[in-house]
Amino acid sequence: MLLDQFRAAHPDIHLREEVLPSSSDQQHLFYVTNLEAGSSDFDVFALDVIWIPEFARAGWLQDVTPRVEPAALADFVTGPVDAATHAGRLYAIPWFLDAGVLYYRRDLLDKYALAPPRTWSELRNAAQIVMRGEANPRLTGFVWQGKQYEGLVCVALEFIRAYGGEVFSRDGELQLAQPPTIAGLQHLRDLITAHISPPVVTTTDEETARHIFGRGEAIFMRNWPYAWRLLNAEGSRVRGRVGVTAIPGSDTHSGVPTLGGWHLGINRLSPQPDLAWQLVAFLTSTESQRQLAITSGLKPTRLSVYTDPQAQQADPSLPLFFPLLQRAQPRPVTPFYLMASTILQSELSAIITGLKSAEAAMDDAERQLRRILALDRGEASHASTAK
Amino acid sequence: MRQRQSNDHPVLFVLPALSLMLLVAVYPLVTTFWLSLRDEFPIFHISRFVGLSHYVTLWNDPRFWQSLANTAYFTTVSVFAEVTLGLGVALLLHQTFPARGLIRGLVLMPWFIPTVVAARLWEWIYHPHFGVLNALLLYSGLITTELNWLGHPTLTLHAAIVADVWKTMPFAVLLILAGLQTVPDDLYRATRVDGATAVQTFWHITLPWIIPAVSITVVFRTLDALRVFDVVYVLTGGGPANTTETLSIYTYRLSFQTLEFGYGAALAVVTFMIILVVSLFLQFLLRLVSAER
Repeated sequence: MLLDQFRAAHPDIHLREEVLPSSSDQQHLFYVTNLEAGSSDFDVFALDVIWIPEFARAGWLQDVTPRVEPAALADFVTGPVDAATHAGRLYAIPWFLDAGVLYYRRDLLDKYALAPPRTWSELRNAAQIVMRGEANPRLTGFVWQGKQYEGLVCVALEFIRAYGGEVFSRDGELQLAQPPTIAGLQHLRDLITAHISPPVVTTTDEETARHIFGRGEAIFMRNWPYAWRLLNAEGSRVRGRVGVTAIPGSDTHSGVPTLGGWHLGINRLSPQPDLAWQLVAFLTSTESQRQLAITSGLKPTRLSVYTDPQAQQADPSLPLFFPLLQRAQPRPVTPFYLMASTILQSELSAIITGLKSAEAAMDDAERQLRRILALDRGEASHASTAK
Repeated sequence: MRQRQSNDHPVLFVLPALSLMLLVAVYPLVTTFWLSLRDEFPIFHISRFVGLSHYVTLWNDPRFWQSLANTAYFTTVSVFAEVTLGLGVALLLHQTFPARGLIRGLVLMPWFIPTVVAARLWEWIYHPHFGVLNALLLYSGLITTELNWLGHPTLTLHAAIVADVWKTMPFAVLLILAGLQTVPDDLYRATRVDGATAVQTFWHITLPWIIPAVSITVVFRTLDALRVFDVVYVLTGGGPANTTETLSIYTYRLSFQTLEFGYGAALAVVTFMIILVVSLFLQFLLRLVSAER
């Protein structure tokens, strides 16, 4: 256990860990209530990548920019570093990462002499060919996360970005109602109407998708790297018959996996920021990440771990996953992400269930998002008048 | 003399109850209302008075209207089903038959299961691939393809209603059964002497006699259903596309997930007002019914 190693190496530091509820929502609430109340009970804390701008903006995270050499930062995958950067400053160190990947049935693609798809259209065609050829009513084409929750936003972003769309432009303008975004979402909905994805996909989360794919009832699955070990575990029906490839793009844009994962940050009110930093540096070190990768299968954020022969030997999937994860991009990096996501979740769900057209849903999403963005502007003007 | 003394300080006796009420009911109510007049985003250091603007936003918020419609539909259908089914089952259980006590106990079972557990149970029943419901329907030939009970815009709310009816119908049975036991046996004997049919007995003796019990059940269940949260939240999380989002779920999302305290408080106040009005109306009806008797 990494923490015990840290204790052994630093007998003078008294380290206490606190276990948080397993649900991400509840962890967020725990942090918000404690930090809002000015708690300094914890010095170092684990952060879901989407919380960082919010917590940084709230002034709860210590700016760690001065503690990290730019050269040392170069060893990290860029997506997670971008996600932890708010207004040009670094607020957390990437600990391990997650990114969308595409699983496929290697045996089935080989049978029909198909290559792993590089675009969503190729995926559609491949699925149609295999489904027609197999003529198995229980075999579906493509399962993904379509339940109304955070996972749906991750998937939708991969479709939106594959066609060149975005949620916000670089200068913060909403891009949801723009043609590229609409095109991406239309493709997502079409998967269901064209019977490539089963109707149940509108309630599917990571685990349900994995169950369907794991029973051999789907040709393709969008999921996170964690599924790899389980799909290839002893007793799995698809063991040894699964391939994994990068999230597809389109003819004009290459695929962009959505970034997930966890960072370590330091409480700004920590009375011992230097000791806290020692722990963060230890846990995010090459050695710790290598151990974490080998023991738990979590994907490292350091390039040096992926290329490390010892780690590669212990976990052969590391070099396999590395090129797939490298291009991952964070979800919109904004302090208002959670609010924006709640709005997106419901509008995206309306699109894929066919309740609203992509245009109508994105118009509605933009209108609601503007109310939230106005809050930010209202705050900004308030702050400037105060000065 | 003694009696007089105690009458001199009635306030003293009400005080504990009164202060408790002030503390747990009035104080939160007032603070919630105050909060609803403000923009409160503690994390972003936003704290300002905005008057009634949250209520204006709410009026123009389609998501609010949808959650209101969902809640109203859920309440109407589930309460109607629970009370009619509950009445039927109560009448059955009121008969004398072997092992009546055991059967009564079994019927009440779902009511003793914690709601979250019951909802998880139904989640599996509804599972499109592994669920028993689709398996039965497919086997009996009623459907030919698996139905997506929890992912279909119109099926899902009904699926949630069925789960709720299963869970809370026993409560209706319990109350109505208690009502049935108050019907004097003489009345039944008299009707038998007069040669009344079973239907006549039900309409002219049983039903009028248990109307108060049924009405109380309706009041309890309606007020409960209007603030429904757990069963729907666990089953669907409000999805797909908010088609099962109730007022309580929307309030929870605003106040505890996106942390829009001010707007969430406005929604809570409106929900409170709706429940208050419905509750006053039901009490009025109840008084009407008992006055008739």
